Amino acid sequence: MSVELFSGALIALLCGLDRTAAFQVMISRPLVAGPLVAWVLGEPLIGLQLGMLVELLWLARLPVGAAIPPDDTQVAIAGTVLAVSLGRVLETSAIELQLLCLLVALPFGKFGQFFDRFARQYNIRLVHQAEAALLEGQLRKAEWQHLRGLLTFALAAVGTYAVIIGGGLLVVPVLWPLIEKSLVHSVSWLQLALPLVGVAVILGTINVSRALTLFCASFGMAFLLMWLV
Amino acid sequence: MAVTRITRIHVWLRLMLLQASWNFERLQGLGFFFAILPALKKIYAGKDLPQAAQKHLSYFNTHPYLTPSVVGAVIKLEEEQAAGLEAEFPINDFKEMVAAPYAAIGDALFWGGLRPLAAGVALFFAAKGILWAPLIFLLFYNLAPTWFRLAGYVRGYRQGIHSVEFMQRHRLPDWAIHTKEAAVVVLAGLSAFLVFQHLQQHQLPSWLGLFTLLPMILLGLFARKGISTLLLTLLTAIVILVTSLFWTDLAGWLETYKGY
Repeated sequence: MSVELFSGALIALLCGLDRTAAFQVMISRPLVAGPLVAWVLGEPLIGLQLGMLVELLWLARLPVGAAIPPDDTQVAIAGTVLAVSLGRVLETSAIELQLLCLLVALPFGKFGQFFDRFARQYNIRLVHQAEAALLEGQLRKAEWQHLRGLLTFALAAVGTYAVIIGGGLLVVPVLWPLIEKSLVHSVSWLQLALPLVGVAVILGTINVSRALTLFCASFGMAFLLMWLV
Repeated sequence: MAVTRITRIHVWLRLMLLQASWNFERLQGLGFFFAILPALKKIYAGKDLPQAAQKHLSYFNTHPYLTPSVVGAVIKLEEEQAAGLEAEFPINDFKEMVAAPYAAIGDALFWGGLRPLAAGVALFFAAKGILWAPLIFLLFYNLAPTWFRLAGYVRGYRQGIHSVEFMQRHRLPDWAIHTKEAAVVVLAGLSAFLVFQHLQQHQLPSWLGLFTLLPMILLGLFARKGISTLLLTLLTAIVILVTSLFWTDLAGWLETYKGY
């Protein structure tokens, strides 16, 4: 299990940096980060399924200005790592367990906001240190302060990952025997519900005139086409 | 002294780390300084350099994909200023002037429009279990941002403050609205596809799927009222879990009743 957790931590760090600090080519999106970590762990389909369920949930929360959305990257990564590693420990590849891991990981994603806020607050010191270095004429030292910010964001990402993994390892083994049977009957409905909640939130918050009309018309038309074909 | 092509590439590569030290006081200010420094080193020498660098440590925030355009233009302005040419616009005023509109346009176009659109398209493939779905998302999404990061930077350097016209010409606010509308259509199609697939798996009549619109609209209204997504998700999950428990008990009871 430790190899899986460590591999997950490395992917969490890499994708966590892409979220704000570096590149922003969107490998941090759950749809990419989930399958990526699952592929490293040898179970790509689990990551694809879980990544797909998380992808739309917080997509409507834009990282605009100083706003920090919940850390869906670490939810997808840690949820996938929990699903793969606990599946191996409990000797089950049941989708019910994977879904439970994700549902437990979701609330812990809020910790990502806390860690991210702390990193951004801490980085203020780096600006002042860079200014002091510039006044002394030490350009290289001033540049270095900026790169130190990468470390802050990396720690925030790994911290969030660790909290979700820790919480998941404590909660999932306790909950699993209690709700395994009820999950068997509800798993496919939950798999449908999570992306639809995400779409509904996007629909409710997207700034497009007549979004509801457009959505209902497109939904109805697509449904009719699928029914006819 | 003119900034060489190699230095300009160096600056562009540094822009990939623009937000490494993002903070609540100066936002991208330190990142802007870090990115432009190689160019300043070429333009200024000796005592002038720390002074020139100092002014780029100030508050700065715009969309990261449109920052290369601003940096390109600022390098041009710095070159002109160092060469003693009369400044068309004070450099810091130019930065302040473009930062907010570029941020608003970039947020609406890339975060608010393109990202849900690309996610919606890729999720069709993911729902089919196609493992290439993440790559499809990355390719689809990154096409426009990469173009803006490259072309914006080149235009910014070539045209200086007139690079703003490049952005105006592309009518990005209109594109942001069109992309959002396309995202709504794609997400509606995706929702319909998921519901239809689900009903077929459970051998339920297809027309039932149309009723999905009601809870979705309701959830959308709750989200608009400011209720958190996490709360809506967990409540939905609990309702499904409890309903399925009740349904399991009812089915068991009906089976027993049939036995009598």
